[in-house]
Amino acid sequence: MEQLKVKFQINGEAAELEVKASETLLETLRERLELTGAKEGCGLGACGSCTVLVDGVPTRSCLVLTAEVNGADITTIEGLAEETKLDPLQESFMEKGAVQCGFCTSGMILTAKGLLNRNPQPTRDDVIRSISSNVCRCTGYKKIVEAVEAAAALD
Amino acid sequence: MISSKFEYRKPTNVDEAVELYGEFEGSAVYLSGGTDLVPRMKLGLEKPRAVIDLKAIDSLSVLEDQGQWIKIGSEVRIFDLKQNELIQDLFPALASSLEATSCETLQMRGTIGGNLLQNCRCLFYNQSEFWRRSKGFCLKMGGEKCNAVPGAKTCFANYCSDNAPSLCTLSAEVELSGPKGQRRISLEELYTNKADKPFDIQPGEILTAIFVPKKKTIGDYEKLRVRCAIDYPLLGVAFSLAEGTGKLAVGAIGPKPIVVELGESPKQSVKEAVKGVLDQVRPVNNTVLDREYRKRMISIMAERLVNKVMEGAK
Repeated sequence: MEQLKVKFQINGEAAELEVKASETLLETLRERLELTGAKEGCGLGACGSCTVLVDGVPTRSCLVLTAEVNGADITTIEGLAEETKLDPLQESFMEKGAVQCGFCTSGMILTAKGLLNRNPQPTRDDVIRSISSNVCRCTGYKKIVEAVEAAAALD
Repeated sequence: MISSKFEYRKPTNVDEAVELYGEFEGSAVYLSGGTDLVPRMKLGLEKPRAVIDLKAIDSLSVLEDQGQWIKIGSEVRIFDLKQNELIQDLFPALASSLEATSCETLQMRGTIGGNLLQNCRCLFYNQSEFWRRSKGFCLKMGGEKCNAVPGAKTCFANYCSDNAPSLCTLSAEVELSGPKGQRRISLEELYTNKADKPFDIQPGEILTAIFVPKKKTIGDYEKLRVRCAIDYPLLGVAFSLAEGTGKLAVGAIGPKPIVVELGESPKQSVKEAVKGVLDQVRPVNNTVLDREYRKRMISIMAERLVNKVMEGAK
């Protein structure tokens, strides 16, 4: 079967891989690059737990073929901190207790990161609309909304 | 995991894309945002030999004011389109349905062309291959019978584009390019009214642009849904009024949007117009909501919507 050469930036480092055309970005991240922060929930784009940033845009990595991201700049939850300094969103998720089982957390944080990148001072409605892209089955969302608001206030 | 094996191509113009389609003798699919196609490939509903990615064709991502028409390239992302000032100002029904589409993250990936050409959906069809095989393939899978309505010889899957009804109320047209050249038809003509093959599109044709008459309209879109995010419409009702003529369109109930005219006094004529819709729909129990409920919600949502828009216009 045809193998495709794909190059992209992953958390600031260059990656060059040979992949099958049918391989999804989520499979590449988890199984080849051992970046298991992005989770496979539904696998059909309905839950958001596989969200990563592709050129700064929150993207469901289970719906994207790795072939499509040739040349892109990808950030996963593993690449959000600068060495030992966590991103303000990661800090505020801990501070506010916005994590229970943790399965949705990386997707939630990257969706929120995308929001704060394009709108550093979101209203509560903006935050709710944005994170409604992602499903959480534990927290009831309240703490997550508070954590995103707190991170926005820090900027 | 996608079990089918295919080749991936990324052409940079429409002619090259159409040519590539020909090379794979009709067993290729065009990829846009992938939010409909990739899940379909994962479920084995689509098993192409080649995936032709349209995202490197720059001409498809252009939105242009042509004076008489607003031309929307098929690859314009839903998120970008809903934030466009021309769309918000001229076509409030479309702005509203774009906002109601899925969720922000998927709006940033999904395109307007892909949204229009998403395949019909049914609780008995959008399932894993294992699930479908154990039940016996339905009509839409090339089988002998419908699994939603035992014994039926018609497919009852629903066309769940949020934006098709609003574009129908705006009298939109679509442009298609394929092996036999280019053609432009009204959006309503795109539909076959058959859920197992919902679009009148020839092999290799690409939806390249949507044209909306540049007229100031008032209007809105109402969506029946259970989650208020991510989910497909269980019923969608759009209404637009331009130069004294109103149009109402009802979607997600059957294989195409049902469009009716409301004339110059929409509030007075909506009850009668809804009867025309009810005569054409045949909802069955193939969504998470009961068919009777969805049917009854047509008149409730249509009247509520028209009254809201007309009250706001005073």
